[in-house]
This record gives sequence, structure tokens and C-alpha cells, in this order.
Amino acid sequence: MSYEKFIFYVFAAILVFAATMVITRKNPVHSALYLVLAFFSSAGIWLMAEAEFLAIVLVLVYVGAVMVLFLFVVMMLDIDVATLRAGMIRYLPVGVIVAVMMLVMLWMVVGPENFGLEKYAAPARHAADYNNTAELGSLLYTVYMYPFEIAAVILLVAIIAAISLTMRRREGTKYQVPSEQVAVHKKDRLRVVKMEPEDKMELK
Amino acid sequence: MSFDLNTLYPVMPEIVLLTAASIVLVIDLFLKDEQRILSYSLAQLGLLATIVAVVAFGGSHTDIVFDNNYIRDPMSDLLKVVILIVSMGMLVYAKEFLRRRDLFKGEFFTLSMFAILGMLIMVSANSFLSIYLGLELLALCMYALVAFDQESDNGPEAAMKYFVLGALASGILLYGISMIYGATGALDFAAVHAAISAGSIDKIVLVFGLVFLVIGIAFKFGAVPFHMWVPDVYHGAPTAVTMFIGSVPKIAAFALAMRILVDAMGALHADWQGMLVILAVLSMAIGNVIAIAQTNIKRMLAYSTISHVGFIFLGIIAGNNEGYVASMFYAIVYSIMALGAFGMIAMMSNKGFDADQLDDLKGLNQRNPWFAGMMLLLMFSMAGVPPTVGFFAKLFVLDAVIGIDLVWLALVAVAFSVIGAFYYIRVVKLMYFDKPVDDTPFVSGADTKLVFSLNGLSMLYLGLFPASLLSLCTAALV
Amino acid sequence: MIALSDYLILGAILFSLSIAGIFINRKNVIILLMCIELMLLAVNINFIAFSHFLGDAAGQVFVFFILTVAAAEAAIGLAILVVLFRKRRNIDVDGLDVLKG
Repeated sequence: MSYEKFIFYVFAAILVFAATMVITRKNPVHSALYLVLAFFSSAGIWLMAEAEFLAIVLVLVYVGAVMVLFLFVVMMLDIDVATLRAGMIRYLPVGVIVAVMMLVMLWMVVGPENFGLEKYAAPARHAADYNNTAELGSLLYTVYMYPFEIAAVILLVAIIAAISLTMRRREGTKYQVPSEQVAVHKKDRLRVVKMEPEDKMELK
Repeated sequence: MSFDLNTLYPVMPEIVLLTAASIVLVIDLFLKDEQRILSYSLAQLGLLATIVAVVAFGGSHTDIVFDNNYIRDPMSDLLKVVILIVSMGMLVYAKEFLRRRDLFKGEFFTLSMFAILGMLIMVSANSFLSIYLGLELLALCMYALVAFDQESDNGPEAAMKYFVLGALASGILLYGISMIYGATGALDFAAVHAAISAGSIDKIVLVFGLVFLVIGIAFKFGAVPFHMWVPDVYHGAPTAVTMFIGSVPKIAAFALAMRILVDAMGALHADWQGMLVILAVLSMAIGNVIAIAQTNIKRMLAYSTISHVGFIFLGIIAGNNEGYVASMFYAIVYSIMALGAFGMIAMMSNKGFDADQLDDLKGLNQRNPWFAGMMLLLMFSMAGVPPTVGFFAKLFVLDAVIGIDLVWLALVAVAFSVIGAFYYIRVVKLMYFDKPVDDTPFVSGADTKLVFSLNGLSMLYLGLFPASLLSLCTAALV
Repeated sequence: MIALSDYLILGAILFSLSIAGIFINRKNVIILLMCIELMLLAVNINFIAFSHFLGDAAGQVFVFFILTVAAAEAAIGLAILVVLFRKRRNIDVDGLDVLKG
């Protein structure tokens, strides 16, 4: 087994293990952390397939932003883990059966028979000065300009939707008004009181 | 590399609509609640301007721009105009409903406009990438709209179910796309078609990818057995949103099926035909039979949608131009019928009261005879009773199926549409022969009344002169 | 050398696991959302592998867009989850049976 192949299998094993843990953990926080592990190991696999830019993006955007959002929501919502445990055993057999059947069918099609090295020879490595980011960038802004614009609209919709769904003004909540805070004068807040010292102190 | 400004002309409808949506989004921020009508007017104006753009830059030729990502052909022109007109009607019905519910907010209009933009993108997509992005734009707006009413108990639940199943469908569709990309090495439909027609690719890989594509499309259409989300979403969403989801996206879904199955995978017709036959028969059977048991009109119409989807598939199954024309005719007619039927529920609903029980329709004739008459036309059309247009829509798809010697399929379709006629006729019976539960005559604005009358009468007009719409559809698919 | 089939089988395993996850975790919406992320990861591995072996960058561009959409999708999904939690005080999908038919 070549060194490269060994690394691939290590990453693949970690990925499959992490994915299994994601779907079997009862505590959503654990699942989210295993999902982070899954993303890291698949970033490793993407690097081996010479998709350097996407591997970095996966770590930065997915682990850095999306998973943090997941964790944030999990912790914000006070989820009762105990009640969620109950149904798992009941659905486990049917889940396993469906997954195994599916995997067997997928394997038959995507296995070495149709996609082995004889059919798809391993491509030559890119030259050392090849820049994956530059190649994707030049494609993205020329050939894929139209999809790129649509993606921008999708992100805008996500912003509008997320804000309009979750924002609510509750009665009795106190809000800061920064413009008022900035516009205060010394005389509004501070009063200098001049008092005569008292003649004598009564100590009792 | 230079950029030719001419390539922007075919994309003008999308540009106009995107600009209009952004304008509504920004202006709405500065409006007080009582000025919100301005957002509504701007939204209507934007849709109107988009129709003008479609007509002005359309034509019988075909433009493919943006490196094969975008196509403008007669089919896209016709479908876009219908989508925009039906959406304008939707906004008219929605306006009054939202006002009574204190839901008259700018987000409804911006999200609706972005959803319509998503549909236009799907209709004009010429590569798997643009069709996927259009589909997601539509879906994301819809998820948010279903959960739009924060007071509603069922809205967020319906939105969650819709979201999970919709995202699952997208994942399955994407898996299919990845297999097709791997097998053909191309993403744009013409190149995929050419690669498949060349015949050097392993059939098993293509059919495997095709199965995933068909499942994804069936999910988006709401065809049995991938229909679980339809009744819950139709029931749980605010009626204005149900009206939206139930009408126009069917046209976009038709375009999705046409672009993927015909433009890209046309050479595999024999393979997807069988899959669609199963989906069509199951949809017509389950949809029509379960609809009978429903007491909630929104759920009843949801199951009726499922059965109509079966009919839309029938035309595509035929796999020839005649079939596609029949299917397109059906999809267009269906979206107009569904708009009217849901519009009626929206008009009858009031603050804190959703007129979504069948009993709420009782004695409609005594409360408002004109509206009852229009509803009668809509129901007859859904059932396929001549001389309404629903009859001809069914006739054309059946004709297409008989044309390819699938007589048994046509017989099955007729049998189930006879069963289906029962629950539409029951609505008519409730309106005309039952005593009203609440006999106050109900009123609505002049614009709503006008649109509803046009909506109902169009069933009759198109039924008496079906050639008017049919010739448009035929011209669109040359 | 690593064959294309190795990548695709890895994608297939992930895809099956995510389907199994959707069956098993019917009660827990937040894990359902994570299963959907896993499914998209499986699709992305497919695209990247094909792109590598076909020597065509289009597959990588597609992955770029899937990542964008998935991020937007996660934001909206979590927003709906928050709204749902405010209404119900739990995220149990089996509890989501007000709508039935």
C-alpha cells in the first residue's frame, strides 16, 4: 500500500467514524462536534484530490461559521435530551436496513467495476506553480458569472428570511438607543452640590 | 476576454425583477405601517414591468447566453408570462387576507418576488447549475414564507417539515446531478444530451443518476410516494402562502421536468417513462381517494394537487411534442384554477378565523351568489366537467397517452378522475343546497372581486375557446 | 494510486449514513439538519472526485455553489427551528403531529 493510499484510508476511516457518531449521538452538542471532525477529515481528502481552495473554504466557512451557528442554536435552545433518546431504538432497525440496502446498490454502481483505475486513469499531478484559487476565481467571474449572481441573491434571501423570522419586539424589553447615549451632556447626568459642612457630628 | 452587452438583453426579465425586488426591500424599510400599500403597489408594478420585459425581449428565436447557463426560448417566454400574471393575481388576493391578519409586512412582498425570480431562473435554466440555484432560491423563500405568521401555531411546524423534506430532495437531486456530471463530464443540458446520444457511456451509470433525478423532481412536484409534505404544508401555511405554493410553482416544476428530463436526458426517454408511469398512477390514485376523506378544504385541495400532478406527468410520459404541449396546457390551467380556489378561502377568512373547513362553504350561494357561481366554475373545471377548461386539459393529456398506445393508462386516469369528481361536486352541493352556518353576506374589495371574477370566467372562456391557449402552447414548443 | 471508485464509495457510504440518520433521528430536528449537511458533504466528495479525474474544474465550481447554498439553507433552517422552539418549547418532531392526515 502506497503512502498516499494509506493517508487516504486514514482520513476516510475517520470521516466514516465521525459520520456514524453524528447520527447516533443523542446529545446534539456531541453530534455537532463530530460533524466538525467529519468536515476536517473530508477537507483532508479534498486536498488529496487537489481541490485546495475548497478544502480551505470547507474549514473556514463550515467549521468556522456554519458549525458555530449550529452549536450556538443548540446551546441557546434548552433541549431536553432525555425525551429525545426514546424513539431512537425503535427506528434503528429500519434505518440500518435502509442504509445497508442503499449502500449495496450504490456500491454496485460506483464500485471499481465502473469507476476503477482501468476506466479512469489517475490524472497527472498539477505543476508545482499551479494555483487552484486563481483557476476557480477566473472561472467564477467569467463562465459562471450568472450562477454567481444568483448565489448572491440566495445569500440576500437568507439574510432577509433569518431576520424576519427570528426578530421580535417584546413588550417590556429594554433597548439601547446609541444616538441618545452619545448625545448626552454633562449637565444631564452630573449635578454638583455645594453643601455647608455641618457644625458638629453627633456621635452616639 | 470581452463582454458583449447584447448578452444582457435576453436576461432582462430577471434583471428587472431583481431590481424591483431590491427597490421594494429598501423602500419598505422607510415606510410606516399605514403606508405599506406602497410596497404592494411597487411589487405589482415590478411584476408588470417584468412582463413587459419578457414580451419586449422575447420572440420565436432562441438565445443562449452566459456560457450556456441561460436559455431564452418561446417556452420560457410563455411560462414566464403565465407565472407573472398568476403571481399578480396571488398578490391581489393576498393583500386583503394579510391586512385582516396584521401580516401586511414588506417581507411578504420581497420574499414573494425573490421566489418568483427563482422560478424565472428555473424556467430559463440551461445547465444543472443554474436550475439547481433557481430551485434553491424558490425553496428558501418558500420555507421562510410558510413560517411567516408568527402568531400561527401550525406555521413553524409546517415550515420545519417542508424544510427537512425539501432539503432532502435537493440532496437526492444533487447526488443524481453528480452522477450525470461524472458520466458525461458536462453540466449544460445540450452537452449532456450530446454526450448521452453519442452512446459510449455506460448505461447503468446514467440510469442510476436518472433515478435520483426523477426522485428529486417527484419530491418537488409532490408526487406520490414523495408527497408527505404537501398536505401538512398546505394546511399549516397562512392561506395567502398556500395560495402561492399551490399555484405557480407547479409551472416551475413543469419547467424543471422539461429541462432535465427532455432537454438533458431526452435520449433516455424509455427509461424515465416507466418511472413516471408509476408516479403518475400512484399520484392519481392516492390523491383522489384520500381527498374524499378530508374535511379541511386546504388539505382536500392539497390531495387534489397531488392527483393533478399525476395528470401533468401523463403528458410528459408521452415523450413527444403533442404530449409536452398537453402537459404545459394542463400545468398552466391548473395554476389558474388553484389560484382561484385558494383565493376563495383567503377571501372568506377573517381575523382569527380561517375559513378552511368544508362547512364554512355551506350556503355560499345565499351569502354571495356571484362568488358562489365563480367557485362553481372553478370546481367544475378541477373536476373536468365540460364546458370548462379542465375538461379539455384532461382530454389533451389523455389523447397524448392514447397516442403512444398506453390505453390502459388513459383508462386508469379516467377512472380516478371520475372518483375525484365526487369531492369537487360535494363542494358545489355544500354551496348551493346546504344552510349557511353564518349567513352574513361577506364583502371584499373591488380589485379582489374583479380578479376573482376574471379568474372564474377564464375557466369558461378557455373552455369555450381552448384553442386560444393551446395555440400559444403549441407555438412555444416547436 | 487512489482510484475514482474509492472516492465514490466513500461518498456512497456517507450518503447512506445520512439517509440512515434521517430515519433514526426522526425525533431530533437539529440532528436531522446535520444529516442533511452530511448528505451534501457526500455529494461534494462526488463532485470533487469527478472534477479531479475528469480534469475539469466545473465540478469544483459546482461544489463552491453547493457550499454557498448549504450555508444559506442552514441559516434559514436554524431560524425556523428557533421559531418552532419558541412556540413549542421542544424540538421533538414526533410532537409535531398537530398536522396530520
